[in-house]
Amino acid sequence: MLQFILSGLAIGSVYGLIGMALAISFYVTRVINFAQGQIMMVAIMITATISSAGYSPWIAVILGLLSSCIVAVLSYVIAVKPILAFNRFSFGWLVSTLGFAVMLENAAAYLWGPTSRPFPAILNGYSIHIANAVLTGQQVLAIAVAIVFAAAFELVRKRTLYGKLGVAVATDPDMASAIGGNTTVVAIAAFAISGLFAGVAGILIGPSTFANPYLGSTYGISGFIAMMIGGGTEKPLSAMFGGLLLGVLANGANALIDSQASDWFPFLVLVIILIVTPRGLFSSGGFSFPRLMRRAR
Amino acid sequence: MSPLSNPALEISALSAGYGRFDVIRDVALRVGKGEAVALLGPNGAGKTTVLRAIMSLIKNRRGSIRIGDTDVSDFPPHRVASGYAAIAPEGRRLFTELTVEDNLVLGAFHLRHEKARVAALLASVYELFPVLLNYRQRRSSFLSGGEQQMVAIGRMLMSDPEILLLDEPSIALSPVAVGIVVKALLELRRRGASLLLVEQRVDIATQVCDRLYIMTHGEIVEEMTPDDIRRQGFDIINKYLG
Repeated sequence: MLQFILSGLAIGSVYGLIGMALAISFYVTRVINFAQGQIMMVAIMITATISSAGYSPWIAVILGLLSSCIVAVLSYVIAVKPILAFNRFSFGWLVSTLGFAVMLENAAAYLWGPTSRPFPAILNGYSIHIANAVLTGQQVLAIAVAIVFAAAFELVRKRTLYGKLGVAVATDPDMASAIGGNTTVVAIAAFAISGLFAGVAGILIGPSTFANPYLGSTYGISGFIAMMIGGGTEKPLSAMFGGLLLGVLANGANALIDSQASDWFPFLVLVIILIVTPRGLFSSGGFSFPRLMRRAR
Repeated sequence: MSPLSNPALEISALSAGYGRFDVIRDVALRVGKGEAVALLGPNGAGKTTVLRAIMSLIKNRRGSIRIGDTDVSDFPPHRVASGYAAIAPEGRRLFTELTVEDNLVLGAFHLRHEKARVAALLASVYELFPVLLNYRQRRSSFLSGGEQQMVAIGRMLMSDPEILLLDEPSIALSPVAVGIVVKALLELRRRGASLLLVEQRVDIATQVCDRLYIMTHGEIVEEMTPDDIRRQGFDIINKYLG
């Protein structure tokens, strides 16, 4: 049991990071960037390519993360900003961000081919024992990095003037610009940060999945579920909690129900959670027993 | 020298609106330095649209807006807000997730590198509304309507602008809170602030302002002074306000 939970937390950290990536860009622009999984894939492909060219894995990782930030900003400039400029309340971004995702995936498949490439191992050979469970160095790193990134984001959001400006833009973009905030710059910064989170998720999962142009969709969907379960549309940090829960549930379903149960079980959980608490478990209007009882009545 | 020879705000032939329709047409008005001017009119007359156009929150189709010596007609909102104009909007529109002090400090965002100036502005806001000192770290959503209005006015003052824009600051407030707001506006006048006040309550407009513009159907139709109203009675206003 402990093994399911710990392994689930490790993969959940990756889902949480992608969920936070989605939530951060949504927080400021009210747009769900459906290309987030493919942005993660770009970081994996660039890191794998540079590493296999003989450069240090750390240089490859840095350039991989830089590339995911750049591609995330490009997704804003190409697929989001023109749509919002035309009509801020339209849903054209649903199609444009999906289109950007398809474009990225096909471009990657054209450039690198459809088969998987090796990805540099990080903390290979290390493992720690907790009671009767074992965590690989890679898994421990995923949990630690997710905690550090989630905490750092929340610290910046709550304690710095620029973080508070982000909150202001999220609350009321018109008023935020009327107090001197440049909403376009804030949106670009939010997309760059979301790209960083997606890229970090890619670096953490890359050693397990290897580098493949088609892995963005799976992780993008998992990140979306993490955001919705947690309530990340209200608070980006909630997406991390949603991701951790999703990881544990998916791992548990694989072990206890069926080896393919993680394909459908998270969706079942998502539907139940959204019926019980539509804004997500960890949002400000999240789960509470009194509210559940009132709803049942 | 008349304040109008040296205006803080001068709008000429301004047209603006939403979608394909002009909400305001050929609006022209001036606010002198240190002068307070009211914009009166019925609901839907376009008063708020004038303020939004000054802040560049909607696109100006024709005409010009000058604040001091600068033509701000084509400025984006964040540039207008960097010391030219600031607004206390209708409904306050505070950043409810943030504390009172966070809201105030964000009002001085364009002065973020001038810490001493921000501290002095903050002190002057607390001097104007001492009650806010007790609520500095309280989330702004937990304040009463009157207290929220004080924060909205304080946030506007924090950017130290050339012209202050206030949109119905008395709306939905208790009589006591309205009294505090009016007192604050009179204090701002004493400090030499230039302000453009959109108001439905004629008594407040005549108490605070030097001149009044009447607006209906997107156009300015009359200009008068509080003395005109006192001489001719409120009927002259009522014929426009309905």
